[in-house]
Amino acid sequence: MKRRILLALAALAIMTGTAYADAADAGKALSVRTFQFKFKEADKAAAVIKALVSSEGSMAIQPSSNSLVVTDHADNLKAIANALSQYDAPARNVRLSVRLIGASRVDPSAVTATAEGLKDIAAELSMLRFNAFEKLGDSEVQGKEGEPGMIDLGTGYRAEFKFGEYDPASDTIKLNDFRLEKLQNDQLTPLYKASLNLKLGRTVIVGAQKPQGQRALMIVVIAKRS
Amino acid sequence: MISCREFRDQFQPQSQDANLLEHVRTCDACLDFAAHVDPDIMFRAIGGSEMVPPGGVDAFVDDVMRQVRVRSAANVVNIQPRWSWRRMSAAAAIVAGVTVGTTMYVMTGFNPSHDVLKPVATAHVAMVQKNLTTKPVVETYESENATIVEVPGESTGAQIVMIVDDSLPSDL
Repeated sequence: MKRRILLALAALAIMTGTAYADAADAGKALSVRTFQFKFKEADKAAAVIKALVSSEGSMAIQPSSNSLVVTDHADNLKAIANALSQYDAPARNVRLSVRLIGASRVDPSAVTATAEGLKDIAAELSMLRFNAFEKLGDSEVQGKEGEPGMIDLGTGYRAEFKFGEYDPASDTIKLNDFRLEKLQNDQLTPLYKASLNLKLGRTVIVGAQKPQGQRALMIVVIAKRS
Repeated sequence: MISCREFRDQFQPQSQDANLLEHVRTCDACLDFAAHVDPDIMFRAIGGSEMVPPGGVDAFVDDVMRQVRVRSAANVVNIQPRWSWRRMSAAAAIVAGVTVGTTMYVMTGFNPSHDVLKPVATAHVAMVQKNLTTKPVVETYESENATIVEVPGESTGAQIVMIVDDSLPSDL
């Protein structure tokens, strides 16, 4: 009886050691997985998962089959597969709510209460060096990834852009070639051109001003799925 | 107890002296001497006709029991083996525990991302990924002389980005 107990303990020790060795090897080993895309291009997908690939991992694009071969740890491959499954989806509908604000620095005695339609961002605006804010216009626009978009703010300002791709890793939608223009003397004068990343559901305030300028133009935008 | 000289001086055939009989029970040389003089001395020394040991029954019993206890104690000590199965089982259990512990230490390296601590590891990885994939609001801007300042805000509040550009028109 005692001899059997002794043998059982020895077998348990050996089996436990083997099991942990196998588990550790499995966690450290690299695996290879191929992802083929139906709606998106493989090279753009590679850019999306670039931040998710570990230092020991790698990826190779196969343009002929529009696929991506990723080598990484098994746990990392799961996260990459999850991100790519979200990315390789039909073009999403996105809705933008945009407000245009004129900001200026005036005599403190002339400062009035926060304008209607700006109270939700009053705390953020109070962080700026300006003390007077005026809502110049607002608009909403809806579009799909890859489509052009245009916002007419009704007070002589207009923005043109192109809906970029949704990035599931950062939950952002990109607005490519965002150009803000102002109508002056029946002509549209370009103010600036940029590419913007907008996190879905989050309010973003993009202000523009000259150095030491007493006035700024601010765009408040919220991007949402529609 | 009397000495051998006293025993041989005092011993007489058919003697019943307790001191003499006690001596003859413990001294083989005097027993041999006495047996030549009185062949029955040995019978009388161990109790003889009256079946009462010299010195009394109690002394005899005490003497016998003392001898029994001494021999029993000697037997108890002798029957204990140096390595019992119980000791070996305990040693095997300790070895098994040390082996398992060492294996876990070597294989996991106390790495919190190992499967043993899976829930904690998952939360940690998710947080790192979130930080890694944060993108700037203004990714590109056409003017090279502009200064772009992103005010880090709370994730739930609005985020402010200011573009300071000398090429902007003065009448924004």
